[in-house]
Amino acid sequence: MRLALSVHKGNISTVFDAASDLLIVDSSGEARAGGLSYRFVASDPAGRAAELKDQGVGALICGAISRPMETHIASRGIVLYPFVRGGVDEIIDAYRANRLDQANFFLPGCRRAGPGGQRRHRGGGCSPGRPGRGGRFRF
Amino acid sequence: MTDEKRGRSEFFSHPEGQSIILDSIADGVFTVDGQWRITSFNRAAEEITGVPRDEAIGQLCKDVLKADICEKSCCLRATMKTGKPVVGKQVYIIDAAGNKTPISISTAVLRDKKGRLLGAVETFRDISVEEDLRKEISSRYSFEDIISKNPQMIRLFDILPDIAEGGSTVLIEGESGTGKELVARAIHQLSPRRKQPFVAVNCGALPDTLLESELFGYKAGAFTDAKRDKPGRFQLAQNGTLFLDEAGELTPATQVKLLRVLQEKTYEPLGATESVAHNVRVIAATNKNLETEVREGRFREDLYYRINVFKISLPPLRERREDIPLLTDHFIGHFNLLQKKNIVGIEAEAMSVLMEYDWPGNIRELANIIERAFILCKGDFIERKHLPENISGAGDAACAVPARSLRDVEAQFLLSALRENNGNRALTARKLGIHKSTLYRRLKALGLGPGDG
Repeated sequence: MRLALSVHKGNISTVFDAASDLLIVDSSGEARAGGLSYRFVASDPAGRAAELKDQGVGALICGAISRPMETHIASRGIVLYPFVRGGVDEIIDAYRANRLDQANFFLPGCRRAGPGGQRRHRGGGCSPGRPGRGGRFRF
Repeated sequence: MTDEKRGRSEFFSHPEGQSIILDSIADGVFTVDGQWRITSFNRAAEEITGVPRDEAIGQLCKDVLKADICEKSCCLRATMKTGKPVVGKQVYIIDAAGNKTPISISTAVLRDKKGRLLGAVETFRDISVEEDLRKEISSRYSFEDIISKNPQMIRLFDILPDIAEGGSTVLIEGESGTGKELVARAIHQLSPRRKQPFVAVNCGALPDTLLESELFGYKAGAFTDAKRDKPGRFQLAQNGTLFLDEAGELTPATQVKLLRVLQEKTYEPLGATESVAHNVRVIAATNKNLETEVREGRFREDLYYRINVFKISLPPLRERREDIPLLTDHFIGHFNLLQKKNIVGIEAEAMSVLMEYDWPGNIRELANIIERAFILCKGDFIERKHLPENISGAGDAACAVPARSLRDVEAQFLLSALRENNGNRALTARKLGIHKSTLYRRLKALGLGPGDG
């Protein structure tokens, strides 16, 4: 599966809606090497979701993301890990080791304590932790 | 401890007192040190961002605020670099629930008593209410793509859906640049034909023979070089709307043909032996007073009554000056989007210049002037010096913006000639000793032609 990360100067870009660059890697690969850089053409939610799908992206790790943007991307069957921060390499490592739910990878104010911390489709908190529960949606 | 550290220490040494003061402020306030880490964060900032103070302190401000500008055009960074404050910049932030909130931010540097840089402060205000209000007002003053709060235009907004619903021919009168094509498009969009084509043709831009083949098309062999059939605009607009701009420029011969087409609901392509039935709604527009043209024998009376089933008269911009600020604001937003700029507005002095000007080129001229100002304006606000000399006052040399190219000179000359002739292009062309189609071509090339504004 192809994993896309919204990046800015070696870090996860803080606001996905305003970001323009992606790094696309093989989610099961050993290293970041061989990752592809991609620059979005569209800035609107539908256009970005379509571009991600065209690039064969199955999962997206990004920073803060607006609800319409998230809905469009999730509706394309792409698994989202929103409100993440950190250096690109450490995030890829954390993703592969299933450690993305560590507190240091949350943007401030985006972590909810306990199992109630999962982000729901409309409203609620956010957490980049567990697939389908903590901060990402599968449709 | 160095002096600099001591200064910093003194500044941040009374957290309780500072906290009380900061928490009493309705605007969000936070301060950062030289590494962009948050050193104080007031209660309003917690409420607006949804980030508790204890989570915010010590974090990078971009991670806490989550604003669209944080990475590419950070205001705090610009302020720290230049020392100049940023005032009232509108951005948006995204909170943990994915809500986009518009905020207005201002920044300033923080220095100690000796003038040494300690960090910076950012204040911000949730402007959701103002934004909603602005959208509400803007929607009240806009109809399809037409923007106005002029009573005559508001009355037009009220009846436009009814005009659109019926299929009758409409005549739109108004000076050049008053938005005749926008109204025609609005009628088409509101009509049951909205999913069918809207085809526009400028009758004044083409010589008679070309116009006929343009409108009705031709058959292969109709004349030398007619190798294959060419569909006319009537065929292209089948089941839709045909917009005949500058209908007052039609020659008597074409007027006769058009009358027949409108009456019989059929037309004959050049070289065809049979008539073709059409189902096209015709909307005609002119910058002339067709009644006068009829009285003076330049326009056929029968055609006039055929197209004048419903007449819409668009007031010139000088008669709807209340719309100038509204339209200026609209064009600033339009060009900000188009040119990816962030010009906040226009200074009062420049606005008063726009309000006093006579606008012979109407809204198209206003759009062109704002577009021109965008090229010259490097700051947040359009100033008087960014407006053309002929508008901002020819006598005021300090404010004059010299023409930068031959193109500018030509544009200014043609606009000035048009102004002298009250926007009448045919008359302007005659006075300049050129053919009207040459004038149209030049205006179009300079971005001053129909549809360019």
